[in-house]
Amino acid sequence: MKQPTLLFLLFLFTITSFSQVEFSGKVIDHKGTPIEGANVYLEGTYDGTSTDKNGNYNFSSSETGTQTLVVSFISFETFYKTDIVNNLNNLNIKLREDVNTLDAVVINAGSFDAGNKARAVALKPLDIVTTASALGDAVGALQTLPGTSANDEDGRLFVRGGDANETQIFIDGIRVFNPFIPSANNIPTRGRFSPFLFKGLSFSTGGYSAEYGQALSSVLTFNTIDQPDQEKTELQFMSVGLGAGNTQIWGKNSFSINTSYINLAPYQLAFPDRNEWNEPFEGASGEMVYRYKPNEDGLIKLYGAFNYSNFDLIQDDINFENGFNFALENTNLYFNGSYKQRLGNRWSISGGMSYTNENTDINLEEDKVNDVENSAHFKVKATKGFSNRFKLSFGSEYFITNFREDFFQNTSNSNFDYTFNNNILGTFAEADIFFSKKLATKIGIRLENSEVTNQFTVSPRVSIAYKAGKYSQFSLAYGQFYQNPSSEFLKFTNSLSAENASHYIANYQYIKDRQQFRIEGYYKSYDDLVKFDGVVASPLSNYTNTGEGYAKGVDLFWRDGKNIKNLEYWVSYSFLDTERDYRNYPTKATPNFASKHNMSVVGKYWVNDWKTQLGISYRFATGRTYTNPNTTGFLNEKTKNYNSVSLNAAYLISQQKILYFSVNNVLGTQNVFGYNYRNQPNANGTFDRQALRPNADQFFFIGFFWSISDDNKSNQLNNL
Amino acid sequence: MKKIITLLVLVSAITISAQTKYEKGMMKAFELWGAKESDKAAQLFERISKAEQNEWLPSYYVATIEILGSFGLKDEAKLNSKLKKAQEFLDEAKSISPKNPEIMINQALLNTAYIAFDGQKYGMTLSVKNAAIYKEALELAPNNPRVILSKAEWDMGSAEFFGQSIEPYCKDVEKTVPLFEKEKLPKFYPRGGIERAKNILKKCKKEN
Repeated sequence: MKQPTLLFLLFLFTITSFSQVEFSGKVIDHKGTPIEGANVYLEGTYDGTSTDKNGNYNFSSSETGTQTLVVSFISFETFYKTDIVNNLNNLNIKLREDVNTLDAVVINAGSFDAGNKARAVALKPLDIVTTASALGDAVGALQTLPGTSANDEDGRLFVRGGDANETQIFIDGIRVFNPFIPSANNIPTRGRFSPFLFKGLSFSTGGYSAEYGQALSSVLTFNTIDQPDQEKTELQFMSVGLGAGNTQIWGKNSFSINTSYINLAPYQLAFPDRNEWNEPFEGASGEMVYRYKPNEDGLIKLYGAFNYSNFDLIQDDINFENGFNFALENTNLYFNGSYKQRLGNRWSISGGMSYTNENTDINLEEDKVNDVENSAHFKVKATKGFSNRFKLSFGSEYFITNFREDFFQNTSNSNFDYTFNNNILGTFAEADIFFSKKLATKIGIRLENSEVTNQFTVSPRVSIAYKAGKYSQFSLAYGQFYQNPSSEFLKFTNSLSAENASHYIANYQYIKDRQQFRIEGYYKSYDDLVKFDGVVASPLSNYTNTGEGYAKGVDLFWRDGKNIKNLEYWVSYSFLDTERDYRNYPTKATPNFASKHNMSVVGKYWVNDWKTQLGISYRFATGRTYTNPNTTGFLNEKTKNYNSVSLNAAYLISQQKILYFSVNNVLGTQNVFGYNYRNQPNANGTFDRQALRPNADQFFFIGFFWSISDDNKSNQLNNL
Repeated sequence: MKKIITLLVLVSAITISAQTKYEKGMMKAFELWGAKESDKAAQLFERISKAEQNEWLPSYYVATIEILGSFGLKDEAKLNSKLKKAQEFLDEAKSISPKNPEIMINQALLNTAYIAFDGQKYGMTLSVKNAAIYKEALELAPNNPRVILSKAEWDMGSAEFFGQSIEPYCKDVEKTVPLFEKEKLPKFYPRGGIERAKNILKKCKKEN
């Protein structure tokens, strides 16, 4: 009896052991270190196991024929091998690191990102709207980052020795031609766009991607929200005006609208400034976004904005006894449509167009100017990922600008007409290559053909980044950048060619636990800058491209949200050494918009018991150059240093009601941006002067923001 | 967080009956999970999910384990990797079982893991998303005690933050107890919550 049973059992055992196939092997990383805890299994079956601490695994399966062995482990690319089962034994498997993780190297020389998708975030979404000095203007918040200059009389972005025209702004990859609301001398302008339609932005202070052209110094790109989360109505009651917004969602569609009306008359009555206002600033604006998601992988966005502003004032001017009368009426219509679609096989395409119509009427004393600009931008871009480590993008775009100016000169009682077309065809291609999790590069080239300058330009761009340690990395970037001369010159001449800049950037960054330190050194050389003769650019001037210049410096940034509970702060410092010979400069000199040292300190402290966020920002800049006609020389003297401390507080009355208060330049520091000299010397033979001061030293703002939504949860913190 | 894990494991108790391969596999995974071998449990769930293309539960549990394991992490890269994996499996589960309130509240839990890590960075966008998710889940399943409970907990969190009374939400939590008790669920279906609800009710009583 015994023997047959044994035999039978033995027989059975043999069968099972024959039908069971062994799978064993070892899993290691690129350095040969064993990986513990990797999931090893046959695809489509339950058969598998985890690797032990030596990276070894061993399991058996009754599967036969051709099978796929899968090895997956977090932060590594999943490994697949398909073969007949007998060939899947005794494997030595090397997993490749996933380069798509937060601790991988990032190509970021020159750029700052905001939003919650970005890996190295310099500004968080709330920062854009809660920085004390910014007054809810995204551009204002960026002025606390290194590489920018504090030019409060202008309000636009002056980046690394470049003037404001050298920065271009894009929404969803499409150019915005006139991004700023016009303002009078010494009154800072603001961006036209309310920050809450955007989910993130990237601000590059140099060395940017070949996708962007026509900017010598800097590009700022905004991304609008893809899909709003809920329907809501928002109301804003402010000391300077009113605002309202609404979002609707239905099916695959959503629609948001935002309107505001600003009137500074009551404010100026309460706090008179240095000007005499015939008509205080009045502005109305409306923005709307329609989004349609035709399928999971596609998105269409249509964005439209209308903006009207109007004012009339008399500014003190040493050369005009009764002051200088300046009046402006501006309408701006902007439309932007974009389409994104992910296709199969790691292809994706995006495209879009924008159209701007800007109409400005200006009265300068008795002279009248009417400017009409029609611009459009068309763009198509395709991206193909060949693997996680190699991505290629390429695209083409066309810019059209038609500008017309009618100038009525009172003294001669005559009309002048100036017009030009500035059309540019651009093509770009760029490769993103990861050699490993530690080393990556981006290589691109941009070709442009400009009709007005009758010129074909080639701009190579290269950047490379190396992760030296767990928390630190080095980056280098180089690029060539071309930009056509501004309309100020193109309206008078067609003999100019594009201005040119080269950037060389070296960057070191250390990020650990909500602390971030970066230092960036750069050298930028300018060539082919426009020069002209005469006091102002006029039809009679001679224009050449013989100007040149340089800017070099060091930018430092430190952000800390770790050491003190509920406190986030950052410190920026920029050293800038720049000289240029352009416009009608008789010699190379530091332009009057550049200060040698710039510093910003921004702090935000959340007081939980008060439900209030308190904010402070301090900005400092050393003096700016001006020409003193009483001495010989050009831009040879400097103003005193600039100082400004701003405070704000946002109090959450309830989830949906916020009270906001801010005051700019709380100490009332009397800042001077330059001097205006009398055209004629006085009896003693000296020229009298007048300090160029901000319109008002201080600015107060009080607002009440109320959101109404179904869930009673959302608020307008992101609006402030 | 430990409590939640233990509870989830406890309440995902398994009834033993005639077993298919799927059932055996799932039971084994729960066993591992119960024995604090959550990585191994996740891996088995992962294998089952790849083999069973029509079952949303295995993917759901892979995501659950990764999400729960991400709370308390200090390293953002690690947190991000875990939650990205969780998101992949949640998306998988969603594609098998769209508009599933259990998956939706897990999505909200995933978002909460980000918010808990860095409220300044993730709070603004994700808390609005969570509010929308809870609203939709409640519309789909007004009598699902886990949906009511999760939503109430979320609401209590924000009420406490704003120094408001959590009392109105206590009533919601109270409602869930009988719902939990009479709940009859398919095998391996997420069933946690009654203990959590009772604990919250204790806190509610203390406040009043």
